[in-house]
Amino acid sequence: MYGTVIGVTLLGVHGRPVVVEAHIGRGLPSLTITGLPGASVQDGRDRIRPAVESSGLEWPLRRIVVNLSPGNVRKEGPGLDLPIAICVLCASAQVPRDRASRLAFVGELSLRGSLVPTPGVLSAAIAASRSGLRGVVVPEANAAEAALVEGLEVVGVPTLAEAVAYLRGSPKPRPVAPPPPQPQQEPEVDFAEVRGQAQARRALEVAAAGGHNVLMVGSPGAGKTMLARRLATILPALSRAEALEVTQLHSIAGLLGSAGLRSARPFRSPHHSISLAGLLGGGGSYLRPGEVSLAHHGVLFLDELTEFHRDAVEGLRQPLEDGRVVITRAAGSVEFPARFTLVAAANPCPCGYEGDPRRQCRCLPHRVQAYRHKLSGPLLDRIDIRLVVPRLSKAELLGEAAGEPSARIRERVQEARERQRRRYGPTGFPCNAQLPGPLARREARISAGARDVLARAVDSLALTGRGFDRAIKVARTIADLDGADQIAPEHVAEALSYRMSLSEESLIRAG
Amino acid sequence: MRADAPDRRDARAPSRWPPGFADGRANRRALLVLMSLPGLSPRVLLALARRESDAAACLAAVRRGRAGSERDRQLARSLQSESIEISVSETGAEFVPVGSPRYPPQLEHLSDPPAGLFMIGRPAPSLAEAVAVVGARRCSQAGRDLARSIGRDLGWAGACVVSGAARGIDTAAHEGALEAGGHTLAVLGCGIDRAQPSSTRSLLGRIASRGTVVSEYPPGVPPMPFRFPARNRLIAGLSRALVVVEGAEGSGSMISADHALDLGREVFAVPGAVSNPLAHVPNALIREGATLVRGGEDLVHDLGLHELGFPDAERAHRRPPALDVSERERAVLERLTGPLLPETVARELGLTLREIVPLLMALEMKGLVRSVGGRVEPRLPA
Repeated sequence: MYGTVIGVTLLGVHGRPVVVEAHIGRGLPSLTITGLPGASVQDGRDRIRPAVESSGLEWPLRRIVVNLSPGNVRKEGPGLDLPIAICVLCASAQVPRDRASRLAFVGELSLRGSLVPTPGVLSAAIAASRSGLRGVVVPEANAAEAALVEGLEVVGVPTLAEAVAYLRGSPKPRPVAPPPPQPQQEPEVDFAEVRGQAQARRALEVAAAGGHNVLMVGSPGAGKTMLARRLATILPALSRAEALEVTQLHSIAGLLGSAGLRSARPFRSPHHSISLAGLLGGGGSYLRPGEVSLAHHGVLFLDELTEFHRDAVEGLRQPLEDGRVVITRAAGSVEFPARFTLVAAANPCPCGYEGDPRRQCRCLPHRVQAYRHKLSGPLLDRIDIRLVVPRLSKAELLGEAAGEPSARIRERVQEARERQRRRYGPTGFPCNAQLPGPLARREARISAGARDVLARAVDSLALTGRGFDRAIKVARTIADLDGADQIAPEHVAEALSYRMSLSEESLIRAG
Repeated sequence: MRADAPDRRDARAPSRWPPGFADGRANRRALLVLMSLPGLSPRVLLALARRESDAAACLAAVRRGRAGSERDRQLARSLQSESIEISVSETGAEFVPVGSPRYPPQLEHLSDPPAGLFMIGRPAPSLAEAVAVVGARRCSQAGRDLARSIGRDLGWAGACVVSGAARGIDTAAHEGALEAGGHTLAVLGCGIDRAQPSSTRSLLGRIASRGTVVSEYPPGVPPMPFRFPARNRLIAGLSRALVVVEGAEGSGSMISADHALDLGREVFAVPGAVSNPLAHVPNALIREGATLVRGGEDLVHDLGLHELGFPDAERAHRRPPALDVSERERAVLERLTGPLLPETVARELGLTLREIVPLLMALEMKGLVRSVGGRVEPRLPA
């Protein structure tokens, strides 16, 4: 009495096929799972029998051993419920073996035998396709994402009973075609709604064009959150490969619902009380991608940067450096991609009104100093564009026309990115922000006039070495937006305006 | 608000203290104990002195319970004048009682002059030389720059900058005077050894080596807010004129100005925009008749300091070299009336934001413009 089917477990963002074997032997009725099942797989043990019985099928009242192989990989995720159930049914000859052999099964069961939406189905489907399987049986709710994999037959079933019926030869419940490429969803927010803040708007355009991280400092009500939310709308559209990665991550986190491809750039704004595991990924036995990975190819917005736990902020250094997070556990390490644009926002001082011409700051100088100290540090080194966002007066707001729509800005951004891709093609760096300092200096093509401005800035603005490199990278992006081959003096001048010192004195620009 | 010119007035007013009040070693020691009693304010001590004639007699009266509070009486019995003398000399200060030649005579104009001072550094300046520069602790960057330049101009003109060594305007004024190599005097509202924070201590160290640090409190008295108005009366009393640079509503600068007016000192104020909360005190003072000054040069002129024998030629070389400012940059500078958004300046000049940014950056690099809190404002040439 033996059966075998294929299931899929998740290792970080990737699926890994697992051979599920079942043996029904003599002994008291029991179900044992061997082969390093994780807590979430063990947890399914008591779920599977009721689900099988509720589906009008018979649970063999004998000693059942299920083995998951390879035995050296820890299996995680509730998606192994379905393959274990099918495997037991195969072993007890309730399901013909031949039809089940070239399919992978993914899905979590409920006690009534229905298949509930399961995280990570897209990753499982990709893994199934790569290992040469014909198709994949998934919960109906996840069929759309599985259908994104080309050349893979997707069988979406609402219940275990229907899965069994399909294997017994009845036609596919409903043919699942790959969902039509979704029309580019109109994002809910747009830069056209932003009045005033011309400098901040322009700075975010530069940030989007060069992939630069941004720090916005400003009083409460200045519009920092509003501006950050709109950065995602001017980033270039996702390529299909990028969209697949984003969809995969959101699927693993269980955020996809029944939608197919995520075509919009994600915008994530975790609350400042977030834990290290919540931000970077991890958690109990089932490793979940953190906010940095959910913001992959999009924007991670940290409002009130100073309020975040120190270790959480420190933990951002690796993803900012490498574009990925590695979570190491005793059982091995797992990797999630995390290449995002960081937008951090903070008040200028504890009370929030330092530098505001219409309201007095009430902070003691040493408190301001301590606050600024929290803001600076290694994270700041990774932020090329630093902006002071002033709180506008009524008169200043009334004088301003409504802004340019996001779509128009995005076109310019896309062209600038294209220019960078052509220039850096062989090096593999996607944009100016990610270029290492020495390479940036070599590739920048600085005109003589611009070089002169930079040289003077070192003296008159006390520009530091790092500030110098940052200015070159940002100036390169501005030149790309202009379609200029060489960096001109005005590009450098603008780049120099995106810097800020966090000295105790006042919120002024400096190197 | 210009009172009859104070320099014509006799700086050495008849002493309010009985003759010989603090003369002799015994009286000096008794006075040290009296000044350490928290309940005995200068006013109370002055009244007692008029009754008892000298310091030793005053101390005896306090010890007998004929003056001062019960706590003062107990303290007066237990305090040893020798230990106070030791702590004074440990701080490097000198005790200057009233009647001593080092006691600044202009303090006798006060209705409650201190019976003695603790001083470090050079002797206090004469009334004709001393000019007080006061203002907000939480000031703007522009205010700080202005106070510094006023301090510098006064230093160059040979005047002594008197202030309270507090953060903000006070510190900037002292710094300016030190930069010009001039004399400056800091009046503390605490014991000479108890200044906070460390940045102020380092400033006081520099002032002590080149100027004067003064307190009417013996060493060990902690800085408390209620002592600052008393300190302000000394700042006003020591100086022939008082300049208020920035001050929010209800700030101590108003108290200093009131003291100055009571004493018939001249009051000057640097105006600001009516919408600027830090311009409240100076604007209110100007409205009441204080003389408006736009900076150190006005002040030097109004006080007649340039006639004191400091040739203009000397001042000329202090002027920053004329900066090379292009025509377009000059147009921007002329529009820059206060803190303005770059886009506002651009619109007024009919330029785009992209065009204005390089101009502003060029001006910033020449030190003529500064960006504060997302707005740009003109900056005094350093």
